[in-house]
Amino acid sequence: MKYLIFTVIGAILLIHTAVAAEKKLTISVYSFAQDAYKEALYDPFEAICDCELVIETGNSVERMAKIEANAANPVIDMAVISSHDALALARKGLLKNLDVSKLSSYKDLYEAAKDPLGDNWAVGYTFYASSIVYRSDLVQINSWKDLLSPELAGRVALPNITGTQGPLTLFMLSKALGHRGYGFEETIDTIGANADDIVTFYVRSSQLAQLMNQEEVIAAPVGRFAWSRFSSSPLPFVWATPKEGQTGGMNVMIMTKDNGNEELAYQFMDYWLSVESQTRIANAKIDSPANKNVKISDEVAESLTYGAELIDSLNIISPADIIDNRESWVERWNTKVIK
Amino acid sequence: MLALPATLFTATFFLLPVLVLLSEGFKIDDAWSLQGYADFISKPLNQTVFFRTLKLGFLVAGVSSIIGYATAFSIFHLPPKHRGRIFGLVVLPLMISPVARTYAWIVILGRTGIVNDAIVGLGLSNTPIRLLFTETAVFLGLLQLFMPLMIIPLVSAMENLPSDAIAAARVLGANWLQVFLKVILPLTKEGLVIGGTLVFTGSLTAYITPAILGGAKVLMLETLLYQRVNVANDFVSAGIIATILITMSFGANFLFKRIATART
Amino acid sequence: MRKWISLLIIGLTLTFLIGPFFIIIGAGLSAGENLAFPPDGLSLNWYWAVFKVESFRESFALSLFLAVFGTLTALVLGVPAAYALSRYRIPFAETVKMIVAAPIIVPGIIVGLGLLRYLVIPLDFTVSLALFMAHTALVIPYAVRVVTASLENLRSDIEEAAILLGCTRLGAFVKVVLPNIRGGVLAAFILGFVTSFNQVPVSLFLSGPGVRTLPIDMLAYMEITYDPSVAALSALLAIMSVGIIFLAEKFLGFSRYV
Repeated sequence: MKYLIFTVIGAILLIHTAVAAEKKLTISVYSFAQDAYKEALYDPFEAICDCELVIETGNSVERMAKIEANAANPVIDMAVISSHDALALARKGLLKNLDVSKLSSYKDLYEAAKDPLGDNWAVGYTFYASSIVYRSDLVQINSWKDLLSPELAGRVALPNITGTQGPLTLFMLSKALGHRGYGFEETIDTIGANADDIVTFYVRSSQLAQLMNQEEVIAAPVGRFAWSRFSSSPLPFVWATPKEGQTGGMNVMIMTKDNGNEELAYQFMDYWLSVESQTRIANAKIDSPANKNVKISDEVAESLTYGAELIDSLNIISPADIIDNRESWVERWNTKVIK
Repeated sequence: MLALPATLFTATFFLLPVLVLLSEGFKIDDAWSLQGYADFISKPLNQTVFFRTLKLGFLVAGVSSIIGYATAFSIFHLPPKHRGRIFGLVVLPLMISPVARTYAWIVILGRTGIVNDAIVGLGLSNTPIRLLFTETAVFLGLLQLFMPLMIIPLVSAMENLPSDAIAAARVLGANWLQVFLKVILPLTKEGLVIGGTLVFTGSLTAYITPAILGGAKVLMLETLLYQRVNVANDFVSAGIIATILITMSFGANFLFKRIATART
Repeated sequence: MRKWISLLIIGLTLTFLIGPFFIIIGAGLSAGENLAFPPDGLSLNWYWAVFKVESFRESFALSLFLAVFGTLTALVLGVPAAYALSRYRIPFAETVKMIVAAPIIVPGIIVGLGLLRYLVIPLDFTVSLALFMAHTALVIPYAVRVVTASLENLRSDIEEAAILLGCTRLGAFVKVVLPNIRGGVLAAFILGFVTSFNQVPVSLFLSGPGVRTLPIDMLAYMEITYDPSVAALSALLAIMSVGIIFLAEKFLGFSRYV
């Protein structure tokens, strides 16, 4: 009821009330698991910073559009985003080069997380592996190529090209099929030729989990962050270790240029990267740690992408290759695959 | 004077933003141009999506008019006491969230859902068939969503039928088929046309059903628009799709109205 | 014989139209983690779980607010318009009719996107305000149409009589006309409420931090977790709608106005 009254007043008076907190940090994050983040990260930070966190969520395109639209007078101070989206923003001159000396946890990060885009445009805060989840009672997956095998015809799903997982699958399939380069032309054409055998091109891993638990789909590439949805199922799901290896990616933290709130943003970033926060976040099974001093139990590690050995083994496409080729992938995909 | 506030409100907060959005389709980098349209039309995906949307719209309108007519006619023949109650049951689905209405179909049409259980159980197929993420799934979802919009105007058209007209035709020796074709159908044509318009435009502009039951493989104009904006920030395509959708909606309204007022 | 065929047709159509709700209600009763029918064991866990999701509570409040106040605003704007359209020969009546009817025809997704892009982003409107505008405009056609229908069933000479007896026009409207079209106004309110509450395409683009209508929140929730709680919530909403319609029908004979 309070909320209703508040909105009525807002609607009638057209007043944009600035909430009267002393310090305010506006961050832009992915919309998943906000309740868990609140508990593991936002609330503890607010308790020590004497400030208010304003959290904006949405998908990456929306969030990037917002950062771009407000470039002259940034609303968002700090954001977390995929490494290639961060590079796209950096190339448009919207990001600040970070002063990593203000991040006390910086030295504890895995090497790959320290300066993934160059010029300190970003620091990585989480990694994820991606591989194929499959039903071990029905099929055997040894290679990324097996996704297109006759045994899987009509029972396999692939990630859509528009999501983050799509390009990763193309990358590994190209590798398995022996195609070179980052154009992925032959690979996309091959998928197009097999399009009828693919149940759907999924957008969210949760949707895939539902389809696989419903036995609609028996194998599909997916990010490790979604693995717990499969491992907890009564059906025998297995995380594949294909001979070409696993792929994966990294999400990074960025700061908008001239946001005027740098000190608080650094404080928050450093807090997020600290062993303490990263351990809490890992134990909540929402993000895998990028801080190498984080120690977690085997049970928790099972749901995450954890440990230097695993992270070093991932086949990762460079953010630059993704941005430079994405348009042409989507174009070809739309023509050849979902025509 | 009295009509002014409503008109102004709708024009300012509803139509104006829409018109500006439509204009984006005619612009490339802030300059007026038809290049956007040329590019849009040349892409095979866009063509497929356009024709699929049109096809499903007509199919849903057509099938629902046949089933809806049979149903409305049956309802009309119920004793008035029951008529209201049954009519209430037909109206009911309209009051329920389309998210819920569409959600049910995921469960029904899945590989282990009841439709496939029945198909395999009856020996129609040895293995379950793929229904989710097909045009069939979208078709069924839309049909269920919009059929009430067909039945409602038909029932009210039938209730306005002068009962003596039917009796008179019968007395004059017409058989039931003749009565139907010569008396009932022409007099209920308007209901059919209203229903057809509502179902057709409804199908064009439905978002949830193609999004959930069709997915990336069965894009329709509405889901394509969402994808263009949300994935590619492509407002030229968005403006073009919007123009197409509005043209189709108004076109259908106009066309069906013409059919309704035309003499038989 | 014909009677049986009639009943069979009605039965089949109703099964097709209403059957899915029973499936949704059943799927929500599952004791398992996944959406399935027949459910995986029986429990009310998911029905309880719905109430524990904070975002559902917030978005429910927002949707309820939009549906109630958006519809009331639409009536405040729409009833005079309906009165003018049915009692006076106003200039450009056809244009006015077309404009107020437009929200029914214009695809909602376009409206939402338009408001986001041209009101919210450049003019700094809040998302809640844009939602309020859109939901109000969306209901105006229903308000105008249903109320016009009621007004046309009401003979205009009774207001004339009231005026002759010394009432002002406003007085005549409030004392004579309004009580007589009460049923139509209430019907318009319910229809508008339901339309607004269930609206998806318009609100698809209009969401911000903590501001989401319930259907959009359900979609977002489904994107992240695909458990039976959305089925349970859908079932609860369906039951709520049925309750409203049942009461409306019982007290107002609502189906006369649809």
